[in-house]
Amino acid sequence: MSAQTTGLQLKAITKKFGSFVANDAVDLDVRPGEIHCLLGENGAGKSTLMNVLYGLYQPDGGEITIDGSRQHFANPKQAMAAGIGMVHQHFMLVDVFTVAENMILGREPGLVVDMKAARTRVQELSARYNLPVDPDATIEALPVGIQQRVEILKALANDAKFLIFDEPTAVLTPQEIDELMIVMQKLRDEGKGIVFITHKLREVRAIADRITVLRRGKIVGSAEPGASEAELAELMVGRAVDLSVDKAPARVGEVRLRVADLSVANPIGAVVVDSISFDVAGGEILCIAGVQGNGQSELADALLGNTPVVSGSINLDGADITHAKPRETILAGVGFVPEDRQHDGFIGSFTIAENLVLNRFDRPPFAKGLSLDLAAIHANAEQLRDEFDIRTPDVTNRGSSLSGGNAQKVVLARELSRELSLLIASQPTRGVYVGAIEFLHKRIVEERDKGTAVILVSTELEEVEALADRVLVMYRGKVVGIVASDTPRDVMGLMMAGIPYAEALAVSQADDASAGKDHS
Amino acid sequence: MTNHTVSPRPTFAGYLATRWRDWSVTASAVVLALVVGAVVMIVADAEVAANFAYLFTAPGLALGSAWAKVSTAYSALLLGAVGSPLALAQTTAAAAPLICAGLAVGLAFRAGLFNIGAQGQAIWGSILAAYVGFAVQLPPVIHLIVAVAAGVLGGAVWGGIVGWLKAKTGAHEVIVTIMMNYVANGLLAWLLSTALFMRPGRQDPISPEVHPTAAFPVILGQLHVGFFVALAAAGAVWWLLDRSTIGFAIRAVGANPNAASTSGMSAARTTIITMTIAGALAGLAGAQSALGASATGTPVPLTVGLVGTVGFDAITVALLGRSKPLGIVMAGLLFGGLSAGGLAMQSIAQTPLTLTMLLQALIVLFVAAPQLVSTLVPILKARTSRVAVAGGQA
Amino acid sequence: MKKSLIAPPMFGAFALALGGCATPPAATTAAPAASTSTVPVSDFKACMVSDAGGFDDKSFNETSYAGLTKAKTELGVQSAEVQSKNDADYARNVQAMVDAKCNIIVTVGFKLGDATQAAAKKNPEIKFAIVDYAYDKPQANLKGLVFNTSEPSFLAGYLAASLTKTGKVGTFGGMNIPTVTSFMDGYARGVAQYNTAKGKSVAVLGWSSAKKDGSFVAAGPEGFGDVAGGKKLAAGLMAQGADVLLPVAGPSGEGALQAAQASGGKVASMWVDTDGCVSASKYCAVIPSSVGKAMDVAVFEAIKAAKDGTFNNDVFVGTLANSGAYLAPFNQWDSKVSAETKAELEKIKADIIAGTIKTTA
Repeated sequence: MSAQTTGLQLKAITKKFGSFVANDAVDLDVRPGEIHCLLGENGAGKSTLMNVLYGLYQPDGGEITIDGSRQHFANPKQAMAAGIGMVHQHFMLVDVFTVAENMILGREPGLVVDMKAARTRVQELSARYNLPVDPDATIEALPVGIQQRVEILKALANDAKFLIFDEPTAVLTPQEIDELMIVMQKLRDEGKGIVFITHKLREVRAIADRITVLRRGKIVGSAEPGASEAELAELMVGRAVDLSVDKAPARVGEVRLRVADLSVANPIGAVVVDSISFDVAGGEILCIAGVQGNGQSELADALLGNTPVVSGSINLDGADITHAKPRETILAGVGFVPEDRQHDGFIGSFTIAENLVLNRFDRPPFAKGLSLDLAAIHANAEQLRDEFDIRTPDVTNRGSSLSGGNAQKVVLARELSRELSLLIASQPTRGVYVGAIEFLHKRIVEERDKGTAVILVSTELEEVEALADRVLVMYRGKVVGIVASDTPRDVMGLMMAGIPYAEALAVSQADDASAGKDHS
Repeated sequence: MTNHTVSPRPTFAGYLATRWRDWSVTASAVVLALVVGAVVMIVADAEVAANFAYLFTAPGLALGSAWAKVSTAYSALLLGAVGSPLALAQTTAAAAPLICAGLAVGLAFRAGLFNIGAQGQAIWGSILAAYVGFAVQLPPVIHLIVAVAAGVLGGAVWGGIVGWLKAKTGAHEVIVTIMMNYVANGLLAWLLSTALFMRPGRQDPISPEVHPTAAFPVILGQLHVGFFVALAAAGAVWWLLDRSTIGFAIRAVGANPNAASTSGMSAARTTIITMTIAGALAGLAGAQSALGASATGTPVPLTVGLVGTVGFDAITVALLGRSKPLGIVMAGLLFGGLSAGGLAMQSIAQTPLTLTMLLQALIVLFVAAPQLVSTLVPILKARTSRVAVAGGQA
Repeated sequence: MKKSLIAPPMFGAFALALGGCATPPAATTAAPAASTSTVPVSDFKACMVSDAGGFDDKSFNETSYAGLTKAKTELGVQSAEVQSKNDADYARNVQAMVDAKCNIIVTVGFKLGDATQAAAKKNPEIKFAIVDYAYDKPQANLKGLVFNTSEPSFLAGYLAASLTKTGKVGTFGGMNIPTVTSFMDGYARGVAQYNTAKGKSVAVLGWSSAKKDGSFVAAGPEGFGDVAGGKKLAAGLMAQGADVLLPVAGPSGEGALQAAQASGGKVASMWVDTDGCVSASKYCAVIPSSVGKAMDVAVFEAIKAAKDGTFNNDVFVGTLANSGAYLAPFNQWDSKVSAETKAELEKIKADIIAGTIKTTA
């Protein structure tokens, strides 16, 4: 491999943070005209490696070469100059600027901004790579998929030869993902070398020319594009993983949660949940599917009581909790796994033990009057650590020391360790490695089987298919339909774009008839 | 290699490493501040500085005079701060209000609130404590307790108003507390012009002296019971933060208000509680100023400047103490020592007061910029990374 | 590496040598103090404690300190001083001076009244003097040094009334305390005297003798350190038509001087405590005169008496009669003050000294 001189090569890259080795002598090469998938669970070191490549981190060892010549990137500007472009997971765009303005951001040539030239440049690039965007549209007005397109164009504007896509599909609808795949393939055919970072096995199999798997900072192997999901998953976690959830059919009980004509507004007054009605019975999992930002988060927040309800009612086990505060809904038995656990579910500077009692710290057995019972809190943590397999040497470590999956286990352990009447879990497996996903899914199903009503908000169809007993599809704050969990994936995808079930089914069947093959 | 350790570092070593770093940064900051202070002393003293013109012709003169200047000043500092039981007593007397007000700022910091208003809260503490002290006749002990309680209450109300405004209207506590400081100061000045507070027979804005029954009993020199009250307050704040449910909520809201609110804690309620307790602590600082013995053995009567700048010094004390009760006690003692030692520097070594204030400012500057200290003290950096490496190998 | 180790001290020395050259005022003032060859060095130690304003307050602390400096150079006494930061520190600061074995301790400001009295009681062998404060029944070793500023202010008011073209003069204080308002009140009465004598109706803005209230920069001591606040008040008075001002606000008064200077000759501003043409010389062109308190003289005399063994506890009251309070020279305005006015001022001064004119209520 050392004899190869074309393309981009990372040789024995090592990056340490203190005593933690994020990348341990990692080799990676990217050739022009290929899509190289970098697969790994969260925290495996993928992003670190790419940040080294992009000049954001300085490696502690190893070297980067392009076409055989050694490179040193002290900052992203130098990396860009060497022909490396990055499409960030969190777009590096200024929301209130137009597309053209974003294009010249950071490379304004002088004092005078030549907007005309910037606009022309956008149009040129759009035409050349067939990525249509309106140069005068402001970013915030564009759908997420188009925003990403601008991010891609930005990367291409430097005549990048190598493009890094950092988890590009996390924010996209299934349809948008398909479009992105096509764009990536086209770029490859143009001769660009592409690094595609993901932990979604389906995408890897769909598009990769080569696959490299990273685990705990090390390359643990490479795989052919034809490898099965199970093979890839095994490489990622180091053992065979069963992606499908082994669950018994739901034993549906009484209706526990009744939501009627519920409307919720966001802080600036726009209606984000629009007259929604549905029921959830004990012992069933209702999945709320939809592309991110269609009101699911606000719905979940409203059920918890963290967002004020504009109109309608929420009824839990016969009690009206429409205007209850989180403290009251928690006491009423609502378990809540927030969508963004770092933001809403977890306090990084608190110990793991403290995080495990975050919503029960002021009640027995964890408090006696005003005094915390540290022993009880500690014992609870040790018990939950063992029960939920939270990987930490000491529950008095800070929460921030945990990996994504373990942090999610803490959140889930906290919620499941008390009597629940309703569990609301939003994106419970986002950013969680495959091994933990399996475990988390199992626990959610167990909770269902205890007779708890479960609402699972997820944007990942695999998860919806694996867990749901029924699926409620949301689009722009409204219910598009409530369908069975075995509804075909493409129908569900269409519903997520706002097309009612019957129509979606018809479209899907017509597609299948004409193409004569299925999508998945 | 397959048996990869889960945690990158053992906790105890890690704990020591962070502790060592905190303490060593602070210690280095003090040393660096003293060094810079020495340079300033040499440069500012015309005679000594003039001798540096002969540095090469008569190095002994220049260096000797510089050494004499600096060593006289700093030995006076040391002597005045810790040189004798009486000096130590003076340090504790200066430290007591600083500790209380530092706790007021530090506690609020922990809840994510920037309490610039300890000054106004302390002013109210001094007003009410002094008023009960001079206007009411009560038996010993009870009089003191009532006077202190009045001061604490005054501060608590003044702080609580800020918390309430923030919780109910979203008004930013920094703006509100700054304004409340002005209001408190203005009200004090006005009160001192009324018959209620003005000393009979005087037209100056100065109150009568508080009755001896309301003064903190003196133990030795200026060491009075108030200092132990301050230590007890630090202990109480420690318990509150680390052992109580209220403190749990305060820390949670401070560290991550979103997660706290998702977990059923009320940020608004916590804000009000925190600001009320913080105000109470600052009020205690004011009571310390009003009821603590001065060098004459009796408390200083209420004037417009009685609490001085304790509320603002408290911000630096809290910063230096990293908002932890023990740290605040240490920082309060350090600043108390600088105050007592600074007086000795003035009276014995004839070093101006501004130098003491410069030293305080430099210490805080160097603590606030640990990066700078780490760069200036390479050994610190080396030591820190060695600890980390050792931790990694364990 | 070696090079870099040597370089900093060299640079430092260079900088220090330069620094020494660059501050000739400090060097020259230090020189006579250092080489007091003409005056025999005495063991007598005179000490001073400032209030929270500090010795650089361009006001009574600074002027009092000048008295100590004068004693040092002219009497050859030893000296020591302590600046206070907080009101709570006064007692211990006075105590520090006691501990420093001072023979006389001069404290500055009424706020030190209690602390000074307590120390005087405790240390009968040490002499104490306090600026701007007097006791009803002082200890034998305790002397109050106060100033009847209403007398020279009365003259200043008369002068202002003779100078105004708009028929309005103004004044403001730093803070509403007697030592400040006695200036303002005397000033207003001086204007009234002019009105009576000349049949005019010059108005005084910023003080009412009847209401005993007026304009102040702030409610607290920060009113003395707020130049911008002083300027704002001065501008307000100017906007109402006042063209001769008397700021009684310590450093804040500089705001009035700035406002007067910016008016381009339309407005004049007097100064207090010291001769403004000396202490704020760059504004001399707009200062018709100043109301002086000879605190330096009072302090010097107290130290001298203590050294000579003639110290007593009689309150020293600075008046026009003993030159402890005075109206400063007209300096650049000498030609603008009419001979008539000058003569009238002399007459009034004599009348005040004689007691035929009352400058207070």
